[in-house]
Amino acid sequence: MRPSRFLGRLRLVLRLVAREIPHSLGQFSILIACIAIGVGSIVAVISLSRSLNEGLGREGRVILGADIAYTLVQREASAAELDILRREGKVAQLSRSRGMARAENPDGTLKDSALVEIKAVDEAYPLAGALALTGASGPEKRPPATLLSDGPDGLPGILADPVLTGRLGLKIGDKLKIGDQTFRIAALIENEPDKLSGGLGFGPRVTMSRAALDRTGLVQPGSLTRFVYRLDLGPGANDAAIRASMATIAKALPDAGWQSASRLRASPQLTRQVDRFTQFLTLVGLTALLIGGVGVANAARAFADRQIMRIATLKSLGATRNFVFWSALAQVLAFALIGTLIGLVIGAALPYAAILAFGHLLPYPLVPGVYGSELMLGLAYGLVAALTFSVLPLARGKAVAASTLFRDAFGSERFRPGAADLLLLALSLAAFAALAVVFASDRWIATLYLGTAIVAIAALRLVAMGVIALARALPRFSSPILRLAIANLHRRGNLTPSVMLSLGLGLTLLVTLTLIDLNLSRQFRSALPGVAPTFFFIDIPSREIGRFETFLKEAAPGAKVEDVPQLRGRIIEVNGIPAAKVSASERVAWALEGDRGITYSARLPEGSAIAQGEWWPENYRGTPLVSFARDVAEGLGLKVGDKIVVNVLGRRITATIANLREVRWQRLGINFVMVFSPNTFAGAPHSFLATLALPPQTGRTDEIALARKVAAAFPAISSVRVRDALDAVEGIVSQLALAIRASSAIALISSILVLAGALAATARTRQHESVILKTLGATRRTLLRALLVEYAALGGIAVVFGLICGAIGARFVISQIMNLDFSVPWLTVVSIAFSAFVATIILGLIGTWHLLGQKPAPYLRHA
Amino acid sequence: MLISSPQDKASRDKATQDRAAPDSGLVPPAIEMVDVELSLGEGASRVHILRGVSLTVGRGEAIGLVGPSGSGKSTLLMTAAGLERADSGAVRIAGEDITRLSEDRLAEFRGRRIGIVFQAFHLIPTMTALENVAVPLELAGEADAFTRASEELKAVGLGARLDHYPGQLSGGEQQRVAIARALAPHPAILVADEPTGNLDEETGEDIIRLLFTLKRDRGTTLLLVTHDLELAERCDRIVRLKNGHIVEERAARAVA
Repeated sequence: MRPSRFLGRLRLVLRLVAREIPHSLGQFSILIACIAIGVGSIVAVISLSRSLNEGLGREGRVILGADIAYTLVQREASAAELDILRREGKVAQLSRSRGMARAENPDGTLKDSALVEIKAVDEAYPLAGALALTGASGPEKRPPATLLSDGPDGLPGILADPVLTGRLGLKIGDKLKIGDQTFRIAALIENEPDKLSGGLGFGPRVTMSRAALDRTGLVQPGSLTRFVYRLDLGPGANDAAIRASMATIAKALPDAGWQSASRLRASPQLTRQVDRFTQFLTLVGLTALLIGGVGVANAARAFADRQIMRIATLKSLGATRNFVFWSALAQVLAFALIGTLIGLVIGAALPYAAILAFGHLLPYPLVPGVYGSELMLGLAYGLVAALTFSVLPLARGKAVAASTLFRDAFGSERFRPGAADLLLLALSLAAFAALAVVFASDRWIATLYLGTAIVAIAALRLVAMGVIALARALPRFSSPILRLAIANLHRRGNLTPSVMLSLGLGLTLLVTLTLIDLNLSRQFRSALPGVAPTFFFIDIPSREIGRFETFLKEAAPGAKVEDVPQLRGRIIEVNGIPAAKVSASERVAWALEGDRGITYSARLPEGSAIAQGEWWPENYRGTPLVSFARDVAEGLGLKVGDKIVVNVLGRRITATIANLREVRWQRLGINFVMVFSPNTFAGAPHSFLATLALPPQTGRTDEIALARKVAAAFPAISSVRVRDALDAVEGIVSQLALAIRASSAIALISSILVLAGALAATARTRQHESVILKTLGATRRTLLRALLVEYAALGGIAVVFGLICGAIGARFVISQIMNLDFSVPWLTVVSIAFSAFVATIILGLIGTWHLLGQKPAPYLRHA
Repeated sequence: MLISSPQDKASRDKATQDRAAPDSGLVPPAIEMVDVELSLGEGASRVHILRGVSLTVGRGEAIGLVGPSGSGKSTLLMTAAGLERADSGAVRIAGEDITRLSEDRLAEFRGRRIGIVFQAFHLIPTMTALENVAVPLELAGEADAFTRASEELKAVGLGARLDHYPGQLSGGEQQRVAIARALAPHPAILVADEPTGNLDEETGEDIIRLLFTLKRDRGTTLLLVTHDLELAERCDRIVRLKNGHIVEERAARAVA
């Protein structure tokens, strides 16, 4: 009989809810909006991320340029290796290098030079996708192989990025020198199908034939050329065929030391970036949901207060405490469901809107869609957040006694939540935390975020309690407005905690994001001269290093020159575990993917400090030792004494970790994750990397003049002007900043909504009071001014809180997670926080004006 | 001794009224309503409540407003107190036409000149007794609001209950607080809507005795709505309403 009784009760609860929903829709508009914004922003972020990843997956073959690709650094595949690849399918070869492209004046002197990213291709290019070229008159339709072959003048053709021809003042048909070879520009590159597979380049692209690359003289033993072998398994090769081929090749060539990639995961770097960005924006969405949660709590509390008479009546008619609670909860959840559904629609629509607005800017097509799993996650977030934030406010209703009907005893019952309420709260909190952590790509960050959020909420509650205590202890002011305002802060039914929470969280997030934004932009705009080098010179052949150094000292007498040997190597084993199976933390996973620059040194590099272990003696001759950057080693779970195996130039080298170094990456000096003892690479061919720091007052023209001198004297050495490289990165950062600003706006909109809701709730709960005050002679202006003083006091404290906690949060992100220098431009941040707070208060008060204008008579008559 | 209202305050009020109109022959009545019409509600539910009511109340006079439920007693009271606005006709309080005042000016006028006591007390539940009484004084910008409020509470016998919230007071005590609050700014006019309606007989009697004593000591004009004829007879004059018309006006048979 029990289940049927339960069902009967449930039906009754739902019937009551259905009966009341049409009447209370207006009262719940803020709750609906809060949930909709929170859920909408989370679902928007995860749907967009899914669309990006689906796009990556669908376009994998085009992005990678083939079904499978193997990349070797500093060495070419042997004939035996190529044979094994050819057994699986058609192989296309491609090399990637860097060099200086030079344009000459008619008299043979250097006109200008620029760093270029070189791609050398064979006849099969492109295996997947289409290369879009522009000729002298409209689109160029001839195949790339024809365009790249030697012309009647004996000069090979070259395809160039229009950015390069613009920079050097060249056009189709003009000559261009790279290394020892002169080229004729055959066509301009409009779009490369496989441009994402090479990662971020510092210069514009040129494409040449492999034979022409050999003639440039840039490919030397030890130079940083990458050799890519692209495998086409033929039409109809499914995912299983790709996995099978990869497994066969891996079995046949276990020690090739190459990096493999397949169309199934065409760009792990890009996938990781999408994941990281998703993670960041999801946290912003979660904050919007948390702030919205305060709005939910306010709405639930106001609802419970408004329901006092109804609850008392229901109780006098025989309703139990639980019945009262569950029927109120069902109603709140019903409205939360409406808000969640609105949020789901907004979130699911965003990828489509993104394509309309930014589709042309994206390097590959998005695959928008209504993704069920993302929507389910959003639904869960919305309902769990609503439950978490409404349990306690609604449980207050249980304390309402039926006898309330017989006396004017507002709020005289002291409310203490029962064990069942606390259990429900704990369960829903656990569910919320589980959602946030389990579905996060970086659970450590998500856990950290949750911890921080809990601390922030607790701190804001403490601040609110302090404000209440302080307001109570203050002496009476002579101004009635001040007195009314201060009394409002501390007396029963005050909204100090909810206003503090919503404004405090909103402003904290705003300050955090603003500071991250400002600090990131600053890294790329200033503070570099004198600290960071002006130029990087790469691929300096070891036989030339002495001559090059002498040249630099003569050409730039005041400059500081540093050089280090540079090799490329890949970590293939960590303590006997293959790199692919090592469980590395998300932040340092990059260290195991692909090859890294490595070096050797007899002495501890400048700018580093030993954190653990000892540096080797200068004339060390024993087994290979390696020094690791501390943060990367910790992320990989490595400690002093552990063994790693690296593949360098096709050789497996086992080295023992001798020490961990503290590295300050943001100085942009020469720094390496791994520094080996010098005897490790004795005799191995390698090149050098040099940096040159000009005195801080050096102008742009002097920098460019120096670059030209180097290009003229050492055509094979590539120079990277740090300023240019940073400008390229800043372009990307400014796009990120846009996303950061948009997300700050979402959080702020949530705060404004919550505050508007809190103000409306205040005005409503204090309607009785304001009507009596008006009866006693208060004008609307007086009431408004008192409200203004009250909220200015709360807001001012929230601004201070937001500034302090936001600065702490941003400092953590910038200096601990991103490892960059952190500073607070107080004037900017304070003015942004203050303006946001003023705007919030004004918007909130506009909403309460009409409530204050209520005429007293009708209210007094019905009360 | 329940009541200890300072006599000097009453005489000060009297003096204020006299200064306002030096020629006693031209002193305007405390309340003057001329041909007041008032309807409430919207559309089909609109009800014509006051139908051409004219009433003049002299200074210091006590009027008992009686009549059946729905006759318009409370509405007449609220109109005289400036809580309802007449659709037509004139409402003059001490010569000032309040029908022309804006909502906010009216609130200020009310705060200075009119004290109101409700059947349901209408204390602010989140304020202590002392704070409740101090509010109109604070709103009027009085510097010694709390001293005076505490005196007023002592005057109604609640000197020991200053820091209690309305929920912690009995009905009779709450109504005393309401009376102290209504009289604190020394209004020229006190309006009371069924002040004993929510109280038992004995407590009600205490409240009425208090109300009349304070009124007499301060020379306040009183407009009292009641169902209780015996109570009405304690006023100077009885006005009977029916269907929005004044149907009877007569001198009371002095009971008290």
